[in-house]
Amino acid sequence: MKARSVRLREAHKGSGSASHCSILWDLDGRHLVTASASDPSVSILDVSQPSKPAKALQHHRDGVTALALSANPSSLATGSIDHSVKLYSFPDGEFQSNVTRFTLPIRSLAFNKSGSLLAAAGDDDGIKLIATLDSSISKVLKGHKGSVTGLAFDPTNEFLASVDAFGTVIYWELSSGNAVHTLKAIAPNCDAETLPLNVLSWSPDGETLAVPGLRNDVVMYDRDTAEKLFTLKGDHERPVCFLSWSPNGKYIATAGLDKQVLIWDVDLRQDIERQKFDDRICCLSWKPNGNALAVIDVMGKFGIWEPAVPSCMKSPTDGAPSLQAKNANGHFLFDEDDEKPSTAGSLDDAIEESHGESTPLSRKRLRKQSVYDDNSNEDSDGEEGLMRQIESHKRSSLKHREGVRVAKEECVTSSKWAKSKMQEAFQPGSTPAQIGKRRFLAYNMLGSITTIENEGYSHIEVDFHDTGRGPRVSSMTDYFGFTMASLNENGSVFANPCKGEKNMSTLMYRPFSTWASNSEWSMRLEGEEVKVVALGTGWVAAVTSFNFLRIFTEGGLQRHVLCLNGPVVSAVGFNNLLAVVTHASDCLPSGDQMLEVKVFDISEGTQPVGCHLPLTPCSYLTWFGFSEEGQLSANDSKGVLRVFSNQYGGSWLPVFSASKAKKSEDENYWIVGLNASKLFCIICKSPESFPLVMPKPVLTLLNLSLPLASSDLGADDLENEFIMTNLHLSQIQKKIEEFSAAGLNTTELDDEAFNTEAAIDRCILRLIASCCNSDKLVRATELVKLLSLEKSVKGAIKLVTALKLPMLAERFNSILEERLLTVSKGIAAAPSLATNSTITNNTLLLRASPAPEITKVVETASASASLTLPQSHFSRQGKFEKANNMVGGIEPCKDPDEENAKIVFNQMKSHQPINPFAKQSNNQEKAEERRQRDVETCKDASKGNPKEGIDQVLPKVTSVGISNDGSSQRQSHRPVNPFAKASSNHEKSSLLDSIKKMKKADHEKNEKVNNKKARP
Amino acid sequence: MAGQSNPDLSVFSAPEVEFLAEDEMVEIVPNIRMEALNMICGDFGPFFPQIASKVPLWLAVALKKRGKCTIRTPEWMSVERLTQVLEAERESSREFQPLPFHYVEISRLLFDHAHDDIPDLYMVRSLIEDIRDVRFHKVETGLETISGRTHAVKLKNLSAMEVNIVRPFMVRALQAFYRHDSPQMIQQPRTMGGSRPQAVDRGPRRDLRPR
Repeated sequence: MKARSVRLREAHKGSGSASHCSILWDLDGRHLVTASASDPSVSILDVSQPSKPAKALQHHRDGVTALALSANPSSLATGSIDHSVKLYSFPDGEFQSNVTRFTLPIRSLAFNKSGSLLAAAGDDDGIKLIATLDSSISKVLKGHKGSVTGLAFDPTNEFLASVDAFGTVIYWELSSGNAVHTLKAIAPNCDAETLPLNVLSWSPDGETLAVPGLRNDVVMYDRDTAEKLFTLKGDHERPVCFLSWSPNGKYIATAGLDKQVLIWDVDLRQDIERQKFDDRICCLSWKPNGNALAVIDVMGKFGIWEPAVPSCMKSPTDGAPSLQAKNANGHFLFDEDDEKPSTAGSLDDAIEESHGESTPLSRKRLRKQSVYDDNSNEDSDGEEGLMRQIESHKRSSLKHREGVRVAKEECVTSSKWAKSKMQEAFQPGSTPAQIGKRRFLAYNMLGSITTIENEGYSHIEVDFHDTGRGPRVSSMTDYFGFTMASLNENGSVFANPCKGEKNMSTLMYRPFSTWASNSEWSMRLEGEEVKVVALGTGWVAAVTSFNFLRIFTEGGLQRHVLCLNGPVVSAVGFNNLLAVVTHASDCLPSGDQMLEVKVFDISEGTQPVGCHLPLTPCSYLTWFGFSEEGQLSANDSKGVLRVFSNQYGGSWLPVFSASKAKKSEDENYWIVGLNASKLFCIICKSPESFPLVMPKPVLTLLNLSLPLASSDLGADDLENEFIMTNLHLSQIQKKIEEFSAAGLNTTELDDEAFNTEAAIDRCILRLIASCCNSDKLVRATELVKLLSLEKSVKGAIKLVTALKLPMLAERFNSILEERLLTVSKGIAAAPSLATNSTITNNTLLLRASPAPEITKVVETASASASLTLPQSHFSRQGKFEKANNMVGGIEPCKDPDEENAKIVFNQMKSHQPINPFAKQSNNQEKAEERRQRDVETCKDASKGNPKEGIDQVLPKVTSVGISNDGSSQRQSHRPVNPFAKASSNHEKSSLLDSIKKMKKADHEKNEKVNNKKARP
Repeated sequence: MAGQSNPDLSVFSAPEVEFLAEDEMVEIVPNIRMEALNMICGDFGPFFPQIASKVPLWLAVALKKRGKCTIRTPEWMSVERLTQVLEAERESSREFQPLPFHYVEISRLLFDHAHDDIPDLYMVRSLIEDIRDVRFHKVETGLETISGRTHAVKLKNLSAMEVNIVRPFMVRALQAFYRHDSPQMIQQPRTMGGSRPQAVDRGPRRDLRPR
């Protein structure tokens, strides 16, 4: 091989020092684009008219470091030290836009094959991916530690490879923006400020990535595994600084720091040609349609090396093998004439490569073929090669025509990511079709509908979980090929999509039990396709491809046809409610689905809810339905379950997160349903994400838990319970409102609400205990304010006294006082002269007494209390009734909160003496005696023994609470107790004393108590 | 021990051991909705279709007979677990692998009543039989090592059925050795005559301890 010298011409006048220069061929091989890091202008040179002066684009204010050309639309991107990336039309060089700006110089640019994406990177942190259509930044890939000096898009648009100054190579997955492989320090270490720059390049078929290695070689890495495949090692004496694949991927040209340019045969892993230059070559570019290599050196001088590959060897552009190929024996197999179509074909190939799926395949085949070639199997190859060449020519010309259209489409679609498509419509509780296996069309808490395809028709079975109660449904042979179904107690609805031209979408309803024969019905929709079906009491709904919501009655009457705002995602029915999820808009570039949910009340003809459906970023809806109580719920692919709540005017609450609940990694939760506190799901072993029909799936119950921040309290369970019960309460209250508006009896719900309130109080008390234990006193005070029953507040006071926190007890007492004050203010008009502290107890007890007028008073009192107290809910009266029932008139020990307090005490392992105090009130006389004694000892203690003082606070406080009970009871049962008159006076005064001492009660209160004292 | 069919032998018959095993808890998946059952031995349920709950084996079998539930095979009754156990049993000639105390009876009951709920029924059955045979063989060979100097035999992880089989022999053999060793101490049980089994049943270990 003779060395032909390449004559270099000056393109850029540098400052005389070496600087990084770039050179590029345009796609039809007519123009050369050059740039230099020391020259702000970019020159476009017409090769066919070398005498014509180069067109200079002078928009940058500093040296241009990076160039990139895209095929469609033909445009040139330039990146500069002045931190900007500019876009020009090509070849006329019209400035189009400033695509983006960085804060530091740009070092590298790359277009993807279709030209829809531009990657730009430099000394800045992160690689920017820019959609060229609107110059929007679609992703920033961060992971490199040093400045990024080389970027290369995989020809199939799946990966982006990047290399930084430290020699680290990262494979980025374009669809997700994640780093798939990180190869640390595999390329030479270089400083971006000085030279050289690290580069890397994908082979045209995208199967291998070439990266300069550490041992003056080029290392090939596998596309998928990022494993080292082989190295090209030869005559480079210093590290390789640039490399470029020939258009057919057979050759690779490398430039080294040793001022050499080598051309390698990749298959043979051998250098076939070399050239030595005066200066270091910093950029190379193969002519896309000819055997030529453009080179540029660090001084800004460029030249064209033609022919780069010896003419005795295959052309670097030669897509089809064995053309013009000369084997070792020196036989020409084909005429020169054949070359032309082939080159044209391969040119098209090179340009349009990304548009056909077949291309990478054919490339692979070609490479294999060329291996054969080199092993001199030329005879058999000859014909094959010719055939292939003709084929490829045909294909490429065909492609060329389609190319523009396809490319345009691709521009639009690929600027969004492959993943971020609008989600398809789905039926909640269905599983994907599997060949030869039964699958679920619908699975809910009631039963399942399964189907299996069998020689052109399907076999559908309906099963109820509760075999004892559900109706028996005979299996059905389905000639329609139903893919959607829904099930409730009364019937099942099926629908099939359009298949082919003639097939029409059919909707069919099968009632399970009916008095009339032949009450099954079906509807056919012409040109319209059913997307989702839903079922409720007395109605059937189908959402179609025309965004119509069609509502039928159970008997098959067409009641309504409504228009929806967007393509449907899912729909589900519950009694008279129908919830439909639709797309609100196209999904965001980040991949977020924009969904909207509407709830229709079919019987009323109203739309109670219409709002957006929130999802975790980059996830899609996987399940949608109503809870057992009728709460709208949705689950997304990230495993977050949300429930619609009326709090804050209607909002979604995340009530379950699969990622937090998962015990092991290989579990997937397939949601079936939920109720107020539990989630029903089927646990599937990974990689399965959905259950199979056989073996019959078993439901697992999981506790709902809000994704709470890990608090310093360490009582996450309690906090969770607290919020969950509050949510439950708000749901009940909503229901009560609805019921009372409808004029229905709400007693049952009131009871439930009261029980829930009691449960909340219980939970709060436990939270207070843990707050006290971890010294969060402010939080404990806030919690006390949230207690809804006075008894609970008293319980809290007892609790904190038991925990020896007198300061907190005092605060709680003042909170209790305040609360009672507001109550008493509310009933100021009422002719009762009872003291603040006894009013509630009175109401509780007097209610049991037969006096009718007093009961009335109590009722008014409670009514007004509901107005004034913020926490009390309007079913106060019911609550009192309930409390009365529980207290049973005389036995305060049965009161739930008293019990709660006790439970908490026991949990806190508090002193035993408290329990007797709590029980004390059972026995009137005993309580009386003890109380007196307690008060006395209190007095003593306050005077004397300071050590016992703290302990004494406890009985004192409890005595306050209990004595209130006692006194009121005494009042109401006065005739029963013979000692009543004498002791009650005494007791009152002692109570007064204790209150005075402890709380420093204000005068107003004193007066009131005095008033009361005066009364008997 | 009142239920023993033969008080003289101090051994349970196989059905008696099975009866005892019926108190073991198993998991069932009911296919009906049913209120909680309040039994003397405890409350079970309420039952919801397709939601697993734990009940005693006797209840599971009763429900299964009526077609009201499927019984979930215990975790140890899977083919891979049993294969592991069998291998381990074969490897060590002295030790027994931990298995449920009533594994023979439970598996027997499940094979009889819930054979359609057991995946790989045939395989599981043959594995369990193999394990049982290996273990029984081990017990028998272990008995040969009892000699005059043996005062106690330690058998860990022995199951109910295995114990039941060796109990009479073991007890008598130990007693015999004991008697030959120190005749004066054995006087007492002999005088007790008819009530001997009870005393034996309380365990020879206790008698051994003073030595």
